[in-house]
Amino acid sequence: MMYIVFIMSVFYVVGFIGFSSKPSPVYGGMSLVVSGGLGCGIVMSSGGSFLGLVVFLVYLGGMMVVFGYTTAMATEEYPETWGSNVVVLSAFLVGLLMEIFMVMWLFSGEHELVGFYFSGLEGLMVLGEGGFEYVREDYSGGASLYSYGFWFLAMAGWMLFVSIFIAIEVTRKRY
Amino acid sequence: MPYIYINIILAFVISLIGTLIYRSHLISSLLCLEGMILSLFTLNALLSLNINFTLSTIVPLILLVFAACEAAVGLALLIIISNTYGLDYVQNLNLLQC
Repeated sequence: MMYIVFIMSVFYVVGFIGFSSKPSPVYGGMSLVVSGGLGCGIVMSSGGSFLGLVVFLVYLGGMMVVFGYTTAMATEEYPETWGSNVVVLSAFLVGLLMEIFMVMWLFSGEHELVGFYFSGLEGLMVLGEGGFEYVREDYSGGASLYSYGFWFLAMAGWMLFVSIFIAIEVTRKRY
Repeated sequence: MPYIYINIILAFVISLIGTLIYRSHLISSLLCLEGMILSLFTLNALLSLNINFTLSTIVPLILLVFAACEAAVGLALLIIISNTYGLDYVQNLNLLQC
C-alpha cells in the first residue's frame, strides 16, 4: 500500500518536471492537473478525503480553469510540446534522470523499504488494519475553521474581498 | 513515509527552479508558482494527517485561499501585459519610450 503511494509520489515529481521544463503553457497546465490528481491520491491515502476533495474542487476546478482560460487568451499559434524543442526535452530528461537517480539511491540503502514503512506510524493507529482508512479527522479540522479559527476565516474572507478590488483596479485602462 | 516527504519537497524545489528561470512565456512562471503552492498544500496536508493533529488541518485550507488571491492578482497583471504587448513574451517587457 505504501509502495503504491510511493510510486504515486514519483509520478507526482515527474509531472512537476513536466511543467517546470517550460513547454507551451497549455501543456504545462495539463501536467499540473495530472500532478494535482496524483497529489490528491497521496493525501487521500493518509485518510484525508476532505482535503483531496478540496484539491480537486478548489484548486483544479477553480484555479486551473481560470489559468486555462487565460492561457487560451494569451497563447501563440504553434504551441511547443516536450518533443518539438530540444531545450524543453533536455530539461525534462535531466529532471527525469535526477529523479531516477534519487529513487535508486533510496533503494540502495541498507534498510529495506517495506520494513521501514511498516515500522513507521502505522503501528500506532488502532483503527483498521491497513488499506484506505477514512478516519474523519480532516472533516472536523476543516469544520474547526469556523469555530476555533474564526480569525483565520475573517482574514481570509476579507482578503478575498479586497483581491477582487485589486484585480479590478489593476486591469483598469490607463488612457 | 519519509520517502514520500522527500519526493514532495523535491517537487517544491523543482518548481521553485522553474519559477526562477524564464523562457519565453510569463505565464509559465506563474504556472510554476502554482506548482509550488500545490506541493506546499500536499506537504501540509500529509503532515497534519500523519501527526494526527486535527486542528492544523486549517493550514492547508488557508494556504489555498491565499494562493487563489495570489493567482488572481498575477493573472490580472498578465492580462495587462497581454493587452499592451499582444503576447506575454518576457522579451517584450520594456518601458523604454524612445
